[in-house]
Amino acid sequence: MKPRDPAEQEAADKWEVQLRKGCLELAILAALWEGKLYGLEILRRLESDSDLIVSEGTVYPLLSRLKSLGLVRSEWVESDAGHPRKYYALTSAGKQRGREMAGMWARFSSSMDKLLAPLVRGK
Amino acid sequence: MTIPDHSKQKIEAYLTKLRAQLRGFNDQQVAEIVAELRSHVTDKLAISGDAATPAQVDAILVALGTPEELANQYITDNLLARAEVSRSPLRILDSLFRWASLSVAGFFVLISSVLGYFFGAVFILVAILKPFHPQTAGLWLLHDSTGDPEFSFRMGFGSMPADGRDLLGWWIVPLGILAGCALVTLTTRSALWCARQYRKSRALPPT
Repeated sequence: MKPRDPAEQEAADKWEVQLRKGCLELAILAALWEGKLYGLEILRRLESDSDLIVSEGTVYPLLSRLKSLGLVRSEWVESDAGHPRKYYALTSAGKQRGREMAGMWARFSSSMDKLLAPLVRGK
Repeated sequence: MTIPDHSKQKIEAYLTKLRAQLRGFNDQQVAEIVAELRSHVTDKLAISGDAATPAQVDAILVALGTPEELANQYITDNLLARAEVSRSPLRILDSLFRWASLSVAGFFVLISSVLGYFFGAVFILVAILKPFHPQTAGLWLLHDSTGDPEFSFRMGFGSMPADGRDLLGWWIVPLGILAGCALVTLTTRSALWCARQYRKSRALPPT
């Protein structure tokens, strides 16, 4: 196999990074769809259910933003571990936003799939 | 699990620095942010094993970013959240002042935004004052002491300049309002774009 040009590889990596970053808000709303979770659980969910490996320092401020926008609410719950944890749950506005974003995502990805089909087949 | 004192001190030193940098949040918000991060660090230490060594604490804190970086993210996220509710230049500037006190990027965004809003306000103000000072308010072409031409926005207070020309006349009213509103909108959009770029640039762990 022909070795890849490092500049080409870098451009491909950058594109992938941008793509992942754009999905973070939707990914958090999706992670909370089934029920309330605390910050570390959300991080774990993102890592296990998607390829979204995000900086831990990004998720907490983003949760705080989603809360000020009224998309999530939070409550402190005492844990068995002996310290309280801050749990997040979707509000009705958050569910609405999640549904809208998921719908947009589905439409966008299905049209992209059609467009990309020849590229995938020809690999 | 119990956390040894030296590890606890490291965590508390980090949180104290963060607390000091979280400008623009009220006491309750700051307390919640700090408590949540303390809970995060404690949980991560519990996962990593029974001995909370200083090296483990360091690794967990590094994953969160420096206190300044983390505070920057809270501030820019807060700015973006506030901007979704209200795009008032005063609210935006208020958040930008906080961001500027923490990072060079924020400082440059603040300076550009102050200039943008200032010139936007000047355009609008001159347009509003023109009907009250029809002879003197407007965009004037003057000559300085060395005779070089210079442009001057005049509110119309004081006497008419001896050597100069009102460039736009009554056109300053529609053009000034249009240009002023465009500048204010453009400044707000640019500031929010910069904040988004900033937080995107820190969204993934360093590779």
